[in-house]
Amino acid sequence: MLKYIGKRAMANGLILVAISMITYLIFWALPVNPASISCGTHCTPQKIAANEHLLGLDVPIWVQYGRFVKGLVVGANYADGQVHCSAPSLGYSVPTNTCVTTLLAQKFPVTLSLAIGAFILWMLIGMSMGIVAARYRGRWPDKAANAFVLTGTSLPTFLLGLLLLIGATLAHWIDPITQGLWVAPWSDPIGFFKNFIFAWITLAITSAAIYTRLTRGSVIETSSEDFIRTARAKGVSEWRILLKHNLRTSLAPIISQAGLDFGGLLGGAVITEKVFNLQGLGNVAITAVLQTYDLPILVGTTLIAAAFYLVFNLIVDVAYSFLDPRVRIS
Amino acid sequence: MSSNSGNASRKRTPLVAAGVVIVVAIAAILYGTLSGGSGSTGGAQNGGQLVYVTNASQLNHLDPQRVYTGQDIAFLNSYVFRSLASYKPVPGQDGFQLVPDLATDIGTASDGGKTWKWTLKDGIKWQDGSALTCDDVKYGISRAFATDIITDGPSYAIQDIDIPTDAKGNSMYLGPYKKTGQDLYDKAVSCNGNTLTVHLNKPVGDFNYFGTYPAMSPVKQSADTGAKYDNGPWALGPYKISSYKIGSQLELVRNPNWDPATDTIRHNFPDSIVMRFGVAEAARDQIFLTDSVKNAVNYDQGLLPQNLDAFYNDAKNATRGNNENSPYTRYYAYNVSAGHLDCVDIRKAIFFAWPIQGLIDLSGGEKYYGKVGDSPLDPLVPDYAPTTGNTHDTNFMKAGNPTYAKSLVEKAKTDCASTYARVTTKGFSIDISDTATHRKAAALIKSAMEGTGMKVNFNFIQPGVYYSTVQDPTKQGDMSAAGWAADWANASTVIPDLFIKNGGFDLDQNWNDPAYADFAKKVAAAQAETDRTKQMSMWRELAQFVMDQYWISVPIFNLDQYQWGSQVGGVEYWLPQGSLIFTNLYVKK
Repeated sequence: MLKYIGKRAMANGLILVAISMITYLIFWALPVNPASISCGTHCTPQKIAANEHLLGLDVPIWVQYGRFVKGLVVGANYADGQVHCSAPSLGYSVPTNTCVTTLLAQKFPVTLSLAIGAFILWMLIGMSMGIVAARYRGRWPDKAANAFVLTGTSLPTFLLGLLLLIGATLAHWIDPITQGLWVAPWSDPIGFFKNFIFAWITLAITSAAIYTRLTRGSVIETSSEDFIRTARAKGVSEWRILLKHNLRTSLAPIISQAGLDFGGLLGGAVITEKVFNLQGLGNVAITAVLQTYDLPILVGTTLIAAAFYLVFNLIVDVAYSFLDPRVRIS
Repeated sequence: MSSNSGNASRKRTPLVAAGVVIVVAIAAILYGTLSGGSGSTGGAQNGGQLVYVTNASQLNHLDPQRVYTGQDIAFLNSYVFRSLASYKPVPGQDGFQLVPDLATDIGTASDGGKTWKWTLKDGIKWQDGSALTCDDVKYGISRAFATDIITDGPSYAIQDIDIPTDAKGNSMYLGPYKKTGQDLYDKAVSCNGNTLTVHLNKPVGDFNYFGTYPAMSPVKQSADTGAKYDNGPWALGPYKISSYKIGSQLELVRNPNWDPATDTIRHNFPDSIVMRFGVAEAARDQIFLTDSVKNAVNYDQGLLPQNLDAFYNDAKNATRGNNENSPYTRYYAYNVSAGHLDCVDIRKAIFFAWPIQGLIDLSGGEKYYGKVGDSPLDPLVPDYAPTTGNTHDTNFMKAGNPTYAKSLVEKAKTDCASTYARVTTKGFSIDISDTATHRKAAALIKSAMEGTGMKVNFNFIQPGVYYSTVQDPTKQGDMSAAGWAADWANASTVIPDLFIKNGGFDLDQNWNDPAYADFAKKVAAAQAETDRTKQMSMWRELAQFVMDQYWISVPIFNLDQYQWGSQVGGVEYWLPQGSLIFTNLYVKK
């Protein structure tokens, strides 16, 4: 098992290197010079050249990438040597005058809080509704769950988020001025809850609908297995069969999907963070893409998102073998 | 002893009482002044928190030498920075008056406008309690020359201060970090006690207006953190930065070392000031439509177009919003260089066919977006005067006059055959930033031009790189959408910038136009003129010249709107800054 994990970790490291290279190449190929972005109405070639120097864009792309890798290992100096970012340095963001690693570390608790809350909510709702729908297949609870699935999956996140935001603002459930300001759960639990609840709901509704369908399908499929029939023949109650025998098997694909979804979410929920002004990784990434063309932030957030996805992919694979005895990692 | 003592005691009673009264009075005066001098602005109240709301994720810059957005300058100059001089913080035309701020006067010129002097007031302190010195001002100005670190700020210091340039035209002084050419700077900018002397490379009659800019304000060398100073500049004003979190908020608290006795411009009415970043536009609009946050001010200068009528048509909001002339003029610059729109008849034809009404309606109408203009100078610039011809011509129609335009195109057939042939066959090109509104505007313009026999093509350019693209003469098309606001209340920051080669924003590429040489000569004369009345009439003549040459399309004089909550008091508009007079705002109890 350890050998397997080691191999996968190494492969993941190589994938991350490839992703960082591809991100650099894509950004380099864009028909936009980041040095021109803030050049303004008195733009001169000298100003663009100065900006290119400040942004570290006045050297070939491979040198830029080499500097990036070196910064990850030993840290680096930026802004003409005025700023030092310690290792692992993901670069220096000129528009925000901050080391990217520091900036992303500040943003991560927001994304983590959003991801954990939404994850708990959608798993609770999705699995409960899926189990009930499977248990009462073809009857009204199943039909109600089906309606929820259709509504949830067809509601775009940005629309649901905006509707919730405007509704909650008008109802004075949230304060639009403080909405999105980070408060740690241990310093102000109520403020923390109020800050995230509508964002959690927004994210959870769509995912809960998907997990309802997933759970229902998985439970129904497992119901036709021989060991379920055996249990039923032994006179075990239906709820006990469902909760004790069926779910353990049904859960495996759900956990697998949930792990990947959670890992992906840790990279930032762009739309939800933007709508609710939550200053997480998604929000900082979209600002870097759309407004400031901030390459170091873009590379940093992409790498972090990819790293989480890969790590959770590995966790899921390992967890799978424990959940389903038929699967063994060699 | 005792009786004497008793008598003495009785005699002293009125003195003690008088002393108590005096002490109380002094304390009251001190309280009043230290907490904002509420007596100076009628009805103003101290205390509370004032909240600015914006959809933006940050202020572009906080570094005094890098901030260059009009509203941000007014905001930071009102609360955090102090500059050599300031506009008088009063509404109306009186607001254009310069008043001393850090200096004892608004600046004194000598040597025909080539040398400027300011003497600093005594007793001004930084936020840490240390005294402001002339060297701090000198150091602050020097930072603008470190163009590798101090980006985006105004370049007047680099252009005008008498420091030699290299063959490429770059300053030989590279700023206080590299110190290359430091002796050249020390010669051009010097301190003698509290007096700062700045030598310019040419006469600039209104250089003291640049003294209102944070770019000319001090920075304490020991507090300078280079690029990072942008996140936490030191204060001389009534508030200092308590925290600045990009994407979240900027918080200002009272600066205990600000002495109102040295400052006749600012107040510190609220206990604290917060600017909340990243508020969704829909949520922001609800705040002001429903007055749900009563101490809030909209920093975005407008609501979503669909919410403007809902706000302004509601009588309840009459005292919670304004609709003012913005300092911006919008226009399309004609590229008049050879091979482009080098024919006055064609430029005039485009001008008269231009669907200006439709374009204005597309962006919010005359009520909210702007009105048809007649000059490159905005009416807020004192040098503005209505021109003749152009939009006052009887042939001018807001919807466009294709018949008259067609007759001008026909005239061009003989006057300038090659240009005529090009615009009627291949067509002319318009540079425009790629937004949904501009796509619709392009359809309107295309349809208007088709009725004249001319053809038009559009270069849609990503908004973020629009200006850097069109300012490259090799990439610019035949017309380019543009907007401009005077850097200070003088056409010297409009006409030369927009219509003189190397002015910084000459999208006309007019330097080979036959009319240019005479025009440039007159501009140089106006720039050097120190008699403001004479200078004003010179600028007016030049604005008329620009319009007569049809160097720009139909201008639009923009409007701006601010909204605020019902507990915000003291709201007035500051004409020269195109913003609220931020320092006068207070929170009603």
